[in-house]
Amino acid sequence: MPIWTLAKKDFRVVWRDRRALIVLMVMPLLLILVLGLSLGEGFGQKPDDRLRISIVDLDEGFVEHDPQTGAKIPHHWSTLFQDDLARTAGIRVERIASLEEAKTLVDRGRRAAVWVFHAHFSRQLSNCSFLLGGVNPLDGDGVDLATLDAEILRDPTQLTASSIIAQVAQGTTLRVVLPWMIGRAFDQIGKRLGSSVQVGLKLLFPSYDLTATTWAGLTRSKPSDQTADIATYQPPEGNGLLNRGAARYQILVPTYLVTFAYFLVLIVGRLFVSERQQGTMTRLRAAPLSRFQILAGKFLPTYFLSVLQGLFLLVAGKLAFAMSWGDKPLWLLPVVLSTSLSAMGLALVVAALARTESQVAIYGTLVVLALAGASGSLLGDRELMPAAMQQISLFTPHAWALDAYRQLLATAEPKLSIVRECCAVLTAFGVGLILIGWKLLRLDGQS
Amino acid sequence: MTCPLVEVVDLEKRYGATKALDRVSFQVAEGEIFGLLGPNGAGKSTLVSILACLLEPTAGEARILGRPANPADRTLRRQLGIVPQELALYGELTARENLEFFGGLYDLSGMVLGERVDRLLAATGLVEQADHAVSTFSGGMKRRLNLGAALVHEPKLVLLDEPAVGVDPQSRAHLFEEIRRLHQAGTTILYISHYIEEVQTLCSRVGIIDHGHLIACDTLPNLLQLLEGLIQFRVSAITPELQSQLSALPETRWSETPGNQVALHCRDVKRTLPRLIAALFQTRTELLSIETIEPNLERVFLHLTGSTLRD
Repeated sequence: MPIWTLAKKDFRVVWRDRRALIVLMVMPLLLILVLGLSLGEGFGQKPDDRLRISIVDLDEGFVEHDPQTGAKIPHHWSTLFQDDLARTAGIRVERIASLEEAKTLVDRGRRAAVWVFHAHFSRQLSNCSFLLGGVNPLDGDGVDLATLDAEILRDPTQLTASSIIAQVAQGTTLRVVLPWMIGRAFDQIGKRLGSSVQVGLKLLFPSYDLTATTWAGLTRSKPSDQTADIATYQPPEGNGLLNRGAARYQILVPTYLVTFAYFLVLIVGRLFVSERQQGTMTRLRAAPLSRFQILAGKFLPTYFLSVLQGLFLLVAGKLAFAMSWGDKPLWLLPVVLSTSLSAMGLALVVAALARTESQVAIYGTLVVLALAGASGSLLGDRELMPAAMQQISLFTPHAWALDAYRQLLATAEPKLSIVRECCAVLTAFGVGLILIGWKLLRLDGQS
Repeated sequence: MTCPLVEVVDLEKRYGATKALDRVSFQVAEGEIFGLLGPNGAGKSTLVSILACLLEPTAGEARILGRPANPADRTLRRQLGIVPQELALYGELTARENLEFFGGLYDLSGMVLGERVDRLLAATGLVEQADHAVSTFSGGMKRRLNLGAALVHEPKLVLLDEPAVGVDPQSRAHLFEEIRRLHQAGTTILYISHYIEEVQTLCSRVGIIDHGHLIACDTLPNLLQLLEGLIQFRVSAITPELQSQLSALPETRWSETPGNQVALHCRDVKRTLPRLIAALFQTRTELLSIETIEPNLERVFLHLTGSTLRD
């Protein structure tokens, strides 16, 4: 198979060319590292206007036994609280892994307040009752959280913010505790005084279901259809010397992955030019090969190299900088494949236009940097561009690739329709440019 | 001539207003080493490109193995081996990898390819450097490998375009040895050069090309016969007896120059020289100095074109 023979040879040639490997693999990693160390923790993060409620969930849950049937009734009240909070408009919930981390964040002023559910929270809440022997958490301020084995850690220097969070906590607790206590009380009333009392109460309070144990049930209202948004706390500045896990790597890695994917232009251009200049193209043309075989033999190894570069940077990003591949890691593959296709297209066009290695270096670098600049990838984050420029930048393949990566790596709930659209546009860019390059390329060097 | 393997008839190639080849016609027999001699820019490389199916002629025809040399004819290209003027090799690859790659282009693989590569490495004297990157090779080693790369697929016609440019004597000897081995094996060779010595050493027939015209094409002895040999000598005195003896020498003409010097033009220097010595002896003439100039391709070229080959 001459195509395979050609492809194997070119892959060998590029693989042994240290300059190519440095440009494609080492330089982007170096830039990511330098920028990762030097940029602030807010880089690459969109400002979120919603009120953030940070919680630590140490609740061990509680299993109640039905006194009549003996059936086990498990409770995990802290989960219900978080869900209730997260479904509240204008609020987002952030879960912090440990009490120590929460205390550190509050002490350092990174969080105004953190709501902690301790181990016996569910047991205490399950035992809340207006009846004799029950736990009564209600006091003059609303709910005494300590009674429920919960607390609010507060930063004394951020009184306003921490008070707002404390009030939200009170509101949520009341919304959960009150219907639970009322419902249980009326359940007992029914059991002890007869069902006719319950029937009477229903007639007296038709807008309420006094036996319900949730706020929605009690008030006979429709539960909120707001999606629960609970995120796990990630230290934005990352950990260790490399700031591993810092949020900015979710932007930096794909940004430089995309920018350097198009540096393939230099490698492919040089492969064609050196083949012409050193006379080996004469040998290829004299051999019983078609133009398609020669071009395909060059296309395949460089495309493979480009895909390898993309995957390498994603793996390196994960290993070196602890970046996350998001919730849909498999979708990264079509993005890598379509980005490489568009890079190959651009590379073929430059290879067709350049006749010497200097021309490859000049045209190639100019094109790559101009497109990177126009797409915003040189800025590190496309979102830093003005809205109008962001629209204009969609004329570059870089912009589509960056948008796809942002969806998958830096968005809590990636919209796959956007990713699909980006991949389709990148493929169209690739196919279009490959066709142009294919037509323009002269194997005899007389372009 | 036996059945021609290469037949070029009224071949023309124009680049705009420039005529690179102008009605060139010649034939090369199967198994022959044909030399094409000409200065830089004479049209040699254009001719090679057409014969290698890389270029289409503007007019006329070149036929190889009875088929028109056509860039679309991949079957014909399979029978050709070309050694370009440049060192057409991959510096990043080893000698073995280069040969394997070029063999692979002709669908060679496995044992057959391995054996041919080993044989060519031995033939080009590169066994010890087989697994070294070509970029580390000397110019001579690269030239030898450049030849080897054209032979992996055992072509019927080998086009050698200045294959020995800038090589050391040892590498040149290796190259010539391999070319002679090819010739003995029956391969037809078209040897293009602007070095007369190379063509004179290797080729049985020679074409001389200049400004796109083939100005002569014949066997080497026939070409040399276009010129006379010259014996220049100085004697103590040119006596009437000596003049008479010189005039009697067959197939010669002579002229006297000041200082008792004589220029004796002859068809065959080797035959005339003993006769001249005998004449001098008979006339008791003292010979003070003598110089012989035999016809060679350099002088033939000068004679035909009015300029030296390296002008």
